[in-house]
Amino acid sequence: MRSRLTGRQLRPAVALIGAITLGASLAACSGGGASSKDGEGTSKDTATVALRTPNWILPISAPGFTQGENAIFTQALYPSLYSYKLDGTEKYNIDPRRSLAEAPVVTDGGKTLAITLKDNKWSDGTPLTTKDIQFWWNLVTANKDKWASYREGGFPDNIAKFTVTDDKTFSMTTTKAYNTAWFVDNQLNRITPVPQAAWDKDNEAATPAGAKKVFATLTAAAKDPKTYDSNPLWKVNSGPFKLAKYVPNGEVTLAKQETYTGADKAKLNTIVLRPFTGDDAEFNVLRAGQIDYGYIPAADTSQKSYLQSKGYTVSPWYGWSITYLQLNFNNPKTGPLFKQLYLRQAMQELVDQPTISKAIWNDTAAPTCGPVPEKPGTTDATGCAYKFDPAAAQQLLESHGWKVTPDGQTTCQTPAQCGPGITAGQPLTFTVTSQTGFAATTKMFAEIKSQMAKLGITLNIKEVPDSVAVTPACKPTESSCSWDMSFFGSQGSWYYPAFASGERLFATGAPVNLGSYSNPQADQLIDATQFASDSDGSTALTAYNDFLAKDLPVLWMPNPVYQNSAYRSGLQGVDPQDPMNFMYFQDWSWK
Amino acid sequence: MTVSSQEKDPVRSLWRQGLGVFAENRLALVGVGIFVLLAGLCFLGPLFYHTDQVHTDLTKVHLAPGAGHPLGTDGVGYDQLGRLMLGGQTSIIVGLAAGILATAVGTIWGAIAGFAGGWVDSAMMRVVDAMMSIPALFLFMLLAAIVTPSVSMLIIIIGAFAWLGPARLVRGEALTLRSREYVQAMRAMGGTGGRAVRRHIVPNAIGTVIVNATFQVADAILYVAYLSFLGLGVPPPAANWGGMLSDGLEATYSGYWWLLYPPGIAIILIVLAFNFIGDGLRDAFEVRLRRR
Repeated sequence: MRSRLTGRQLRPAVALIGAITLGASLAACSGGGASSKDGEGTSKDTATVALRTPNWILPISAPGFTQGENAIFTQALYPSLYSYKLDGTEKYNIDPRRSLAEAPVVTDGGKTLAITLKDNKWSDGTPLTTKDIQFWWNLVTANKDKWASYREGGFPDNIAKFTVTDDKTFSMTTTKAYNTAWFVDNQLNRITPVPQAAWDKDNEAATPAGAKKVFATLTAAAKDPKTYDSNPLWKVNSGPFKLAKYVPNGEVTLAKQETYTGADKAKLNTIVLRPFTGDDAEFNVLRAGQIDYGYIPAADTSQKSYLQSKGYTVSPWYGWSITYLQLNFNNPKTGPLFKQLYLRQAMQELVDQPTISKAIWNDTAAPTCGPVPEKPGTTDATGCAYKFDPAAAQQLLESHGWKVTPDGQTTCQTPAQCGPGITAGQPLTFTVTSQTGFAATTKMFAEIKSQMAKLGITLNIKEVPDSVAVTPACKPTESSCSWDMSFFGSQGSWYYPAFASGERLFATGAPVNLGSYSNPQADQLIDATQFASDSDGSTALTAYNDFLAKDLPVLWMPNPVYQNSAYRSGLQGVDPQDPMNFMYFQDWSWK
Repeated sequence: MTVSSQEKDPVRSLWRQGLGVFAENRLALVGVGIFVLLAGLCFLGPLFYHTDQVHTDLTKVHLAPGAGHPLGTDGVGYDQLGRLMLGGQTSIIVGLAAGILATAVGTIWGAIAGFAGGWVDSAMMRVVDAMMSIPALFLFMLLAAIVTPSVSMLIIIIGAFAWLGPARLVRGEALTLRSREYVQAMRAMGGTGGRAVRRHIVPNAIGTVIVNATFQVADAILYVAYLSFLGLGVPPPAANWGGMLSDGLEATYSGYWWLLYPPGIAIILIVLAFNFIGDGLRDAFEVRLRRR
């Protein structure tokens, strides 16, 4: 008798067979594939880079357009007034080679900063002067609500007076005496000179109404990517590159700016930014040797040696970042639990950061020990206040009135010891809202869930596409406050500017304090980092870090690298990769 | 003149004849064999092969098949053979339950619509048409993102949308059956519509329903695999074959073949098994219907 399977019924099975066959084929291909080494087959004056297509060209960031590729793109065309390096060699972390101005001169008890511009020119030969800074100032002050970097009370609200002294010098007087390092690193980093002569020929931006009009024109042009490479507005640049070709959602070609006057002139003539539909597509092309700079997806880290054998250098890109598991202190049910330091400590002691970093993240993550990142590249966890110690965690729970039931349900036995708001018989059950799409994250929470289960703490893992969106900062009375724990750190939870202070993260009511952590002592220490009198702020920063490392406003988690970069070994100048996630293509050259 | 056994007990004879036809279909028997083997492996295997599928062990990550771990270990140190058994339980339970749920709902819906006819039929089938116009996988993903996936939730989600096919199929059968003489006769004698559906429409469409049910089970198993593949399956330490296959594919370049092939082959085998069984059942019921 003949079998009569229909096409509809067979299709899924065929698809699965196809998937397995494809997988098998790919696995079998591990012995070959890449076609070139050390730039072979690539023009010696060009580098092809895997990068999503930027979609914002105006160097004043707009809400919804703050993705990393946009920052990299605009920096190549319109560098910020100050660039930074974190190696500790320069005052205020200012990178003198890339910056367009000298380090500020501070007077008036720290309240006035005088800044002198270097002798630079726009690509059309016009000198870069304080008119371009004034123009930027006029635009952002008149359009604060449309500027992604604006926060109420922050820059430019905290500037009492902006004064242009002459063509080369301007000064800013702040409303309070801020710590200079904090102000230079976290406030002045927003200033980007923009070409007044090219963008505002009639000087309309001198008035607020005119500034709004000019800004609207620039924003409209920036929202029209298909004209990026033809609109005259974007032809006048201050950076080492100019835009040669732009294909919306496709390749972007940057060409060397021959008239660039900065110290860091581009060495390559052309940089091609090539987008991919996903990690797999990118990695297939990388393996085939068709791009000069790409990245290894976290799941394929074991392919490092293969890529190296094909002439690539694999280099982890460490970020100036921390990763954490947010706790919702305002959750009416579990908030009282999180408010107990001993409980936070017990849970932290069940997170085996070094082993997770090694076994699950394949050494592409490093333990987070506190709010201030370790020096980029540090993988040492010996400095962490709380180490992996399940026995100590159990002892902590038992000594605070909990009946620990391994692989069961630990419950509060003595409410007086458990803490205020905790009732007899209350279990330790939490839901973790995590991210979909990251295999390593899924495995990491499988491990943490397993460790917690050994002490009777139940974690229910719920993966969603955007965990930040569904775990907002909330009040206990709000219906959106039912979340317990939130994780959004598969590529790092938080990337700092040069000065890693916590006023946006852990201060009471801070905009990114999603868990509503509040501790007066922490607030004082955070304030101290902003207003400390020591010029580099390091003493205040250390005090703040040491306190929060122990007070656990969040649970510290392994901090993954931004990405595992892979570039042709003949390509020089890629390393060290900027921890603040900029890419300086001008340093790149072929051996 | 002797009375044949067939004439003595015609119903029993029809079932026997159907069984005989089913048994003649070798692929159908292979299907049954595969299903029994896989179900035995998943549900009885853990009684003899003990593994810890709750606690991770990061010291035993990605061990290749060998002594102690015949199919190696996965990315968090779970024994892969034990995981295959655990995952199979989820896949089979969800597949069977969702398939049965979809078949039951679809059969009742389709039988009522087809028998009632008129505006009732129009209204009920427009609901089916409307739901069918929405891509099922999209809906599954949306629902799975809203609710926390669990075995029971997966059954409800998949069953809630998989019933549309059986509903259409049974409605077509009901349209034919309602004009049959025995139905007309029952109605003429005062039988209610409910009785007609219960005693005549559904029992006489049972062949179609059962055949379709096997395909529903196969489809449901695949839907579980799809959802897990998209990261919307049951969370760890629970497992299912689709999720395991997804993990295995991510490790393709790493050479961890034991994470890829076992769940992939298991999914193919069980889906094929149900297809073979359904094919055999169709032949068997066709014989019975011919005979009638």
